[in-house]
Amino acid sequence: MAEEGRSTAESGVAASLGAMARPMLRGQILDRSIQFLGIGTFYVVILIFFSFAEPNFLQYSNAINILSAVSVLGIVAVGQAIAIVSGGFDLSVSGTLPLGAVAYAAIVNRPTGVLQATLLVLLLGAAIGLGNGLIINKIGINPLITTLGTLSIGAGLAFVFTNGITTPLKDLNTGIWGNTAFAGITYDVIALVVIGIVSFLVLRYTTFGRAVYAIGGNREAARLAGIRVDLVSTVVYMISGALAAFAGEVVTSQLLAGSATVGGAAALSSIAAVILGGAALTGGEGGIVGTLLGVLILGTIADGMALMHVASFYQQIATGAVLLLAVGFGRLRQLLGGRH
Amino acid sequence: MTGAPPLLAVSGVSKSYGAYRALTDFDFTVEAGQSVSVIGENGAGKSTLAKILAGAIRPDSGTIALEGEEVHFSTPRDAIKRGVAFIPQELAYLPNLSVADNILVGAWPNRFGITNRRMTVVKATEEARRFGIDLDVARPMARLKLGERQIVEIVKALARRARLMVLDEPTASLSDQESKILFSVLKNLNRQGVGIVYISHRMDEVYRFSDRVDVLRNGVHVASVSPSNTTPAQLIEYMLGQAGEQLPASGEVTAKEPRLSLMGWQAEGVPSLRGVDLEVRSGEIVGVFGLRGAGQELVAEGLAGLHGHIRGDVVVKGRRGRVFGTPRQARRAGISYVPAERKREGLVLSMSIQANLTLLVLRQISRFGIRLATLERRRAAELARRLNIRYRSLDQRTGDLSGGNQQKVLVGSRLASRPTIFVLQEPTRGVDVGARVEIHKFLRELAQGGAAIVLVTSDVEEAVVVSDRLVIMRDGAIVGELAASRKTQAQALALATAA
Repeated sequence: MAEEGRSTAESGVAASLGAMARPMLRGQILDRSIQFLGIGTFYVVILIFFSFAEPNFLQYSNAINILSAVSVLGIVAVGQAIAIVSGGFDLSVSGTLPLGAVAYAAIVNRPTGVLQATLLVLLLGAAIGLGNGLIINKIGINPLITTLGTLSIGAGLAFVFTNGITTPLKDLNTGIWGNTAFAGITYDVIALVVIGIVSFLVLRYTTFGRAVYAIGGNREAARLAGIRVDLVSTVVYMISGALAAFAGEVVTSQLLAGSATVGGAAALSSIAAVILGGAALTGGEGGIVGTLLGVLILGTIADGMALMHVASFYQQIATGAVLLLAVGFGRLRQLLGGRH
Repeated sequence: MTGAPPLLAVSGVSKSYGAYRALTDFDFTVEAGQSVSVIGENGAGKSTLAKILAGAIRPDSGTIALEGEEVHFSTPRDAIKRGVAFIPQELAYLPNLSVADNILVGAWPNRFGITNRRMTVVKATEEARRFGIDLDVARPMARLKLGERQIVEIVKALARRARLMVLDEPTASLSDQESKILFSVLKNLNRQGVGIVYISHRMDEVYRFSDRVDVLRNGVHVASVSPSNTTPAQLIEYMLGQAGEQLPASGEVTAKEPRLSLMGWQAEGVPSLRGVDLEVRSGEIVGVFGLRGAGQELVAEGLAGLHGHIRGDVVVKGRRGRVFGTPRQARRAGISYVPAERKREGLVLSMSIQANLTLLVLRQISRFGIRLATLERRRAAELARRLNIRYRSLDQRTGDLSGGNQQKVLVGSRLASRPTIFVLQEPTRGVDVGARVEIHKFLRELAQGGAAIVLVTSDVEEAVVVSDRLVIMRDGAIVGELAASRKTQAQALALATAA
């Protein structure tokens, strides 16, 4: 009797463990997608709101407008996302971007081929990133301070080179990123999509990407595991720098002129997009998909409000509120879910 | 004894964490002016007791009375108000402020919120003098030596009118000279009626200092004796009890040449190394045991390439070189290191189990920098199976695992590169008993498979049970070696504590 009772109790435990296993696994998958689900739902709500509030919103041409408008921020944000995942920051994008913008105009006006000019601009950005990386990793100055310094230097240099004068492109064909490729889609959008996909693949499927997450999650553990943390981190800033300079080139293409006054908001907006996308400021978490969703949210709000003729200062307020709302909502879910 | 109630009376206090009973029905008194040592092995319940007295955690049951009046501490602030001061092992102070500011923290002399620097200095000096302590209170805290900072903490407690002081292993990182000064300060406090509870596992200090010794074992109060009529051997017996983990005997070590040798390792500072030589052959586990701060951690970290300042040589497979300067050099020599602090130095908790398991072999699981998903999955699954890691999915966040399973992931990650020399530091600290036994068994299997293993630990049971040969360190030097057949925990402890 007693023997029998025990064996049923045991099999009961085993059965309930088996039953538990499956929902847990499902919970796991849900867990992973929920961060996108949260921000995805958020985006859908915004889309629905604007479609009702503004009849012109839900049109193909407006979708293209939004994509084209966010392409520059998107390109910068991809670099920023990699920097933040690696446990760093890159404020200097706001200096590198205008420098890239005026450099591209100056180079193609010489005249030089678009391809060579693009390579030179990428190199320029990577060089600034190299400087950031070396200062941060070899001298050991905090990334926030380092990139704040290089931001100021970069933005200043852009003015020095141009004497503050906007340089129009002599040959309008050199502003290719603003040209239409097909079905109204411009090359800047294509550039963003390509950069997004490549960075996504790099972060997810390469050893370098794994190392970026590792140094962001626990730099000391990564170092002890034999990862060359200084090298990885420096390369991260080079990527971010190159992308920011390239974003400058895209701006010049769109404006058909190189101006030193562009990109001032890029640093903070890109950080906002990355955080909206679910990254942790402390590093080790987040990714490209979330970041691009964050960029789209920011771009869509700006576009929708512009269509509704809301003055731009109100847009700023709305953007800030959205950021706090989205991040606060995530935090609230964590607290209620009891996860630390 | 007069009828006056004791300064501190603890009765029937219990504390459990889940199914684990950290402290069971604990009774205990301290008179004013008395020094009581509480000793016990790691995990015996000493820290739980200290935290309860300090108000950091609340007991599940039982009462605490101060001078006959029952008290209930729900926060450390309550305990401080009632005159109970806790000096933790890791001091919490404000390094950027002066000694005087630290002593009077939160109660700086002020008028309408404007502090008075001169008054602060005068008052702080007064507080220190009251108990015969000489301190230059104008210096910034960060400039002080560790021992001096501890004394500042004590003065700070006294300034808050502490009547009972609870110290958790205060000498763990002090030099001999600093310890002596600390003891003379404590003795002086005793004379002035302050009660002291001193938590330690250093036998020599217990004898030098306390009026009574209380022994904890697995959360149970097993003895309360006077040091003057108890021998160290008896105390050690109380601490260890009997029973314990049994591992199957390891096979005969056949290799004659050492696979790894340390020659003349020297290092200044705290802890120091004073000429350490060690040889490890294939197929054996050499335990290096010492109390915290005895230098054994330097041996482990030196082998991992974390201490370039150590002077001496390493011979690996007959090739002689200087002590490794970087972790990469150590790894290139074929040494795999399991660090003691798994959360800080070992794992990336935000990453998946799989990512942690393959972190050290990223290059092996990828071609041209691109990870091969199936190969990685296979390697991770194999390691998880060998170490019997319990998980829902290999993609699960490592931070969500239990401590024991996290530790297995850490050991697994260090094993991925199939090292021939394995150096582990405190491999089962903060790990549940089940996982501990599994990790120990696993180490034995590894040795039987031909690996040379260095097990550095401050856990005497682990040291004795797991190692084939046990080396004991004290004050930076090897003070004894116990062969496989003739090692007991009592002997190891006696050597390590200089009892």
